[in-house]
Amino acid sequence: MWALGGVMRSVVVLVLVLVALALFGPLMAPSDPTAIDIPNRLKPPGEGWLLGTDALGRDIFSRLLHGARWSLGLAFFVSALGLIIGTTLGLVAAVGGRLADWLVMRVTDTFLAFPELVAAVVIAGLLGASTESLIFALTVTGWMRYARVARGVGLSLRSQGYVVQAQLAGVSAFSIARWHYLPALMPSLMVVWTGMFARAILGISTLGFLGFGVQPPLPEWGTMLLDARVHMRSTPLQMIWPGMAVLVCVLAINLAGDALRDAIADEKQT
Amino acid sequence: MIQIVASLIGRAVVVVAAAAFITFALLWNAPGDPALAIALARYDALVDADLVNQVREEAGMSDGFWAAFQAWIAPLMTGDFGNSSVNGRPVLADLLAALSYTFPLALFALTIGLVISLPLAVLATRYPGSLLDRFTVGLASIGVAIPAFWLGLLLILLFAVQLSWLPAMGARTPYHAILPALTLGLGVAASLTRIIRSGILEARGKQFLPAFRRRGVAETVVARDHIAPHAAVPVVTVIGLELAFLLEGLVAVEVIFARPGFGSFLVEAILARDYPQVQAAVIIAALIFVLINLGIDVFYRLLDPRMDVGLGGRDA
Amino acid sequence: MLMLQNVDVRRGRLTTLRRVSLSLERGKTLAVVGESGAGKSTLIAAILGLVRLSGGGVSWDGGPVELCRPALVMQEPRAAFNPALSLHYSVMEPVIARKFELSPDRLLRLCDGLELPVDLLDRRPTEVSIGQAQRVGILRALIVSPQLVLFDEPLSALDAVTQKHTARLIADLQREEGFAALIVTHDLGYAAAYADEIAVLRKGAVEEVAEASTFVEAPRTDYGRTLRDAAFALGALERAA
Repeated sequence: MWALGGVMRSVVVLVLVLVALALFGPLMAPSDPTAIDIPNRLKPPGEGWLLGTDALGRDIFSRLLHGARWSLGLAFFVSALGLIIGTTLGLVAAVGGRLADWLVMRVTDTFLAFPELVAAVVIAGLLGASTESLIFALTVTGWMRYARVARGVGLSLRSQGYVVQAQLAGVSAFSIARWHYLPALMPSLMVVWTGMFARAILGISTLGFLGFGVQPPLPEWGTMLLDARVHMRSTPLQMIWPGMAVLVCVLAINLAGDALRDAIADEKQT
Repeated sequence: MIQIVASLIGRAVVVVAAAAFITFALLWNAPGDPALAIALARYDALVDADLVNQVREEAGMSDGFWAAFQAWIAPLMTGDFGNSSVNGRPVLADLLAALSYTFPLALFALTIGLVISLPLAVLATRYPGSLLDRFTVGLASIGVAIPAFWLGLLLILLFAVQLSWLPAMGARTPYHAILPALTLGLGVAASLTRIIRSGILEARGKQFLPAFRRRGVAETVVARDHIAPHAAVPVVTVIGLELAFLLEGLVAVEVIFARPGFGSFLVEAILARDYPQVQAAVIIAALIFVLINLGIDVFYRLLDPRMDVGLGGRDA
Repeated sequence: MLMLQNVDVRRGRLTTLRRVSLSLERGKTLAVVGESGAGKSTLIAAILGLVRLSGGGVSWDGGPVELCRPALVMQEPRAAFNPALSLHYSVMEPVIARKFELSPDRLLRLCDGLELPVDLLDRRPTEVSIGQAQRVGILRALIVSPQLVLFDEPLSALDAVTQKHTARLIADLQREEGFAALIVTHDLGYAAAYADEIAVLRKGAVEEVAEASTFVEAPRTDYGRTLRDAAFALGALERAA
């Protein structure tokens, strides 16, 4: 592997912290994120509630920690699903002959021809607000970049000596894609994946905020912002935390992606 | 050239047609009875089975998917998007009215983005790696990671609630556009700064520039005649990208600022299950988006006929 | 027997092969010589079915060429192997894909013939010398006992000593295995020493075909004479003893 630079190392640490947060955050939460406690509603940060309570008296810190599982976990799931679908389609285009290539690329162009998040809003909204619609909407609108990269790299490898040799040896298109294209694709796919992971976090929170995503009382960060917005005047701090959480996660993942891309570029040069 | 442009236009038509078909298929398969939803929206509580059936007949929904699709697409070909199933008004007129709010806002935001990002990127790249450069890169990285709707909420909180400097809700005066445009513009500025910065650095690293400098060509001339054209290609690509970003941001931003416009139109149409409105919004948005990207593609071809870019030019 | 009849290949407006007719029998060696750009690589691609023919046909014993499990030895030894996988994987690829029953004995015999230690196959392509990589390339080509093997400039990436050695090994293995060999080369000396027949390719067309010794003594065409005399001048070809 490549040597880790200082920035890269701290980014890796940060991403690991986020993963740990999504996995173990809920265990660290001091109280039940959905426990309603009306007498103690809209409490400021401090005694008993680290970050205060929301309009229904729920502990914001606990909701934030549980929210990591929704926001990060769902984003991870959705972007991984897109990775699998997009890569498969891209590889089919690369090895499947002219007709398959034409077909896959026209479909990809069509899906790319519309801003993904707007399409996701339409799809999730029409299918009815639920976590399932959210996953469907973000996956359907989130596979195209992988397909393009997979096809592009695949086509560039097609004239490589070892691919020609495999073809001559009678190796099936599937095996060529699996053993010769996929490993070579991995670095580029990982760069795309970090970008799509970050986009998915933003998408989930935006859809949640618009009311088309994860539904209350589940503590998703976008949904929390939707709640907090109403009490903007009395408890403005409530609105800071979930947005900050989204920002930090997206920033960390973007930086990790940048570092990864630089590392790959360096690797290629040497 | 004409041949290439014709094939690009052909692809654009396919894209818009596919968007129309997918939207229709989605509406058709959405949970619940669309006829019932329309009837409810139109006649409120007075709905009975006859009324639902009547709505179904009118929309050609009783004869299955293809019949309904044809009943919908045929008038569309003549530019007739039908009437809203909620308020009965022609959809196109309402949609165009909404766009008349959105276009100036988008332009305003794009201007803010350019005004901030261009000087910042140019200054930052004067001494790459300097404190100013790193500060710019850091700020831009944060800028692209901020959710647009949250930034909007923060701006409302600061400028409307705490300081009471600017109005936040609605679109009564031109001042009402400042906060939403700033919200979108800061996001645009962040991503533009990143891309212009790396565009300048890349152009500067090109082989031929040191040769010009050695020949004593003035620094400003080098910048104007040789760096700028190289930076122009990514900038045009980015405007295509920013457009997607703007449209995505608009949806949430118009909602939080309670501004009329394309985003609010779309979200309200979805919430009300006003199918003619949703369909019209999707198709018009696809059309605008595809047309602008088509223009960008044609621009590329004029710049360099050998360049092969896909429709949209959105893959970096 | 490999038969090419009036093979035409056009790429766009460019004609790369024009009415090429050649034949090659089992156990024999045909060398195709010519300058770069004469269409030698296209000829190989045409035989292997990697390009579409615009006219004519290629056959093996009257049937499609695939039936004889044709194999190719490439000019750039390392490029012929996936850098991320072991040589062993690449060598076994045709065996698995063709469901060939490979006896351990055959693998050892081939390795022995190519003077390759068997454990060398555990390495990656970048961890062996160019000469070794080329011999592994030959091993991979021969492993499923093909009846036709194409050699695309098999020696040009190697140094002089390794060239002689490798040429020797190829000839010895051909005697044992009995495959038909088509060698594309610009090295007339190599062609004259090892081939039964020599075909001269020029601008996509066959200029002349002759027995190797006949060609060296008296090329029938002006172009053939130019090629031969150039080889004499370079010392690549020794005057007939």
